[in-house]
Amino acid sequence: MTATITEAVPAPADPAPASEPERTPPSPVRALLFSPLMVIGMTLITILVLTALFAPLLAPYNPRAVTGPPLQLPSARHWLGTDIPGRDNLSQLIYGTRTSAVAAVVGSSLALLFGILLGVLPTLLGGFTDRAANRVAVFMLALPMFPLLIMIAALAGKSDTVVLVVVITAGIWPNARILRSKTLGLRDAGFITAARGFGGGRLYVLRRHLLPGMGPLLMVRWVEWASTAVALSAGLAFLGLVDPSSSSWGLMINRATTQQGIYFSPMWPWWALPPGFAVLFTILSFLFVGIALEPVFNPRWRRSA
Amino acid sequence: MTDIGGGAVSAGLDEGPLIELAMDPKAARPPESPSPGRRRRRMWPGVLGAYVGMIAAIITLNFFLPRFMPGDPITALVSRGSSTFVYGEASKTKLKEFYGLNGSLPSQFGHYLNRLAHGDLGRSISTNQSVVHDVAKAIPWTLLLITTSMLLSAGIGLVLGVHAGWRRDKPADRVLMTGLLSAREFPQYLLGSMLLFFFAVKLGWLPIGGAETAFSSDFSLWHRITDIARHAALPIIVLTAGLTVSYYLVMRSGMVDELGSDYLMLGRAKGLRNRRLKYRYAARNALVPVLSLTAVEIGFAVTANIIIEQVFSYPGLGGLLLGSVASRDYPTMQGAFLVLSVGIVTVNAIADLTYRRFDPRATG
Repeated sequence: MTATITEAVPAPADPAPASEPERTPPSPVRALLFSPLMVIGMTLITILVLTALFAPLLAPYNPRAVTGPPLQLPSARHWLGTDIPGRDNLSQLIYGTRTSAVAAVVGSSLALLFGILLGVLPTLLGGFTDRAANRVAVFMLALPMFPLLIMIAALAGKSDTVVLVVVITAGIWPNARILRSKTLGLRDAGFITAARGFGGGRLYVLRRHLLPGMGPLLMVRWVEWASTAVALSAGLAFLGLVDPSSSSWGLMINRATTQQGIYFSPMWPWWALPPGFAVLFTILSFLFVGIALEPVFNPRWRRSA
Repeated sequence: MTDIGGGAVSAGLDEGPLIELAMDPKAARPPESPSPGRRRRRMWPGVLGAYVGMIAAIITLNFFLPRFMPGDPITALVSRGSSTFVYGEASKTKLKEFYGLNGSLPSQFGHYLNRLAHGDLGRSISTNQSVVHDVAKAIPWTLLLITTSMLLSAGIGLVLGVHAGWRRDKPADRVLMTGLLSAREFPQYLLGSMLLFFFAVKLGWLPIGGAETAFSSDFSLWHRITDIARHAALPIIVLTAGLTVSYYLVMRSGMVDELGSDYLMLGRAKGLRNRRLKYRYAARNALVPVLSLTAVEIGFAVTANIIIEQVFSYPGLGGLLLGSVASRDYPTMQGAFLVLSVGIVTVNAIADLTYRRFDPRATG
């Protein structure tokens, strides 16, 4: 299935080849809509969101209830078979969509919001606040994040909220750093100086000029971090750091791979692979949208790709 | 800490820097060019100071993190559900004393630092060995996986990248790049368990997990080496796959960036051979941004390695950390975390110094 996706990515939708820079590029919105990566990504995201919203309607069984004999191969009753206690795998997969959707939406939004708070505001204030915030961000980035996340998740107890908080914590710092450098670039731009010169206050400039100017970057960052948040939360779930009674893809893979000798069961591929590919496709959908958005907003991409 | 900046933009959690580097290698270099002489002299103390600060922070975190989290180790240790259930207040007090958990926080911290200075990481709850012993047993395995994979991926990725950048096949580029970036996102547990299923279960070519056959110390040397190699093959393949992509992408775009340079034109005008231009001239300059990638790569490798060790039940540091998490073995957890973190930060500091040597513009 991966192969079909990679093959389905056709020739670059690059609107302005580097060889003819004098041609005026078509509008970014058009380029976006026609980008195949965008179409694939958005389709997958739509499926993800709809599945998450309508999980109770779509799932044939309660994902936590034992509804059949354990380790059954796929059948008309259980399309993806059953796991060890005899729960329906398909229902678990469908409900697991919710965990990933929450990780993507909540995780990415909050990571970005705190990133703005720590990356943009101190930079505008300048001076000591800026230096302090920047130092904290650089310091956090240099910390070995993943082992630290494992420690925090393990010590704070197995809970989905903890994993979400941990994922957000990891996302704040890279966002803050990138937003800071963008703000630094914008702060000294001519139109900002002009706006300030005409008596615009800090908040006014932030609202009317800086945030709109950063809109594209924020969008790209949101999408990129959504993909990372899904990967990270699934990874932590795979390591068994979430609430064992919850339904998530990572936890399904954890259960499917930590059973002794499970690889020798004919049931194994039906149990472990669907959630794995679900994680993969979710990550890829956000990644594709991110890659599709990038050249529209970032002229550097046009030149080198 | 601005000094570890440069390449250490992320601990492998963030794709941003990779994409940036892959698209524009110059992004790695800070825009301003400071007066070189003064800055260069200040380089060593700066990096070293940042490094020492980092280590101190890790040690402090390692001490305070478990103490500020909900749930305390002793409660977990002696609770009814745990395998180390302890009955009676007297034994609980004794236990607290044994793990240095009595007394005020500052005195505990002093005690902890003192023990650390003597190379004592405490005693594991599950194996009853000293943590140093357990960690020392795990380190070689993790080093084996990570070093081999880093070397392999750097070799493969750089050679392919130099070649692809030199030729610069334009139309295929975006597609290839998207494909490669997607390949890097392939979750290690998915790739790992698929390979495991195929090569170890279906074909039976390779062992299903662990680092060596039990009681293999009786084997002849050659037999032992092949045994270890067979066990490490799949984990290394999974780890190398992800790492190679970044090396390839960054090297390729570095080459593309060098192609238009004047020195290449001059070289061509002088009649230098293509091979020489490609490897001795262009590739050498394109290597600089690759160096700044090291920090990202180390972060990625360690993250991936923890997951991979779980998939293949490999007895490295990641496995030790996760095992101690599962059995609530706090001393081992802290020990594994400490060693892992100090290792990462050390490699990053070395990479940072190397990078500065190669590109004196990189300061600040």
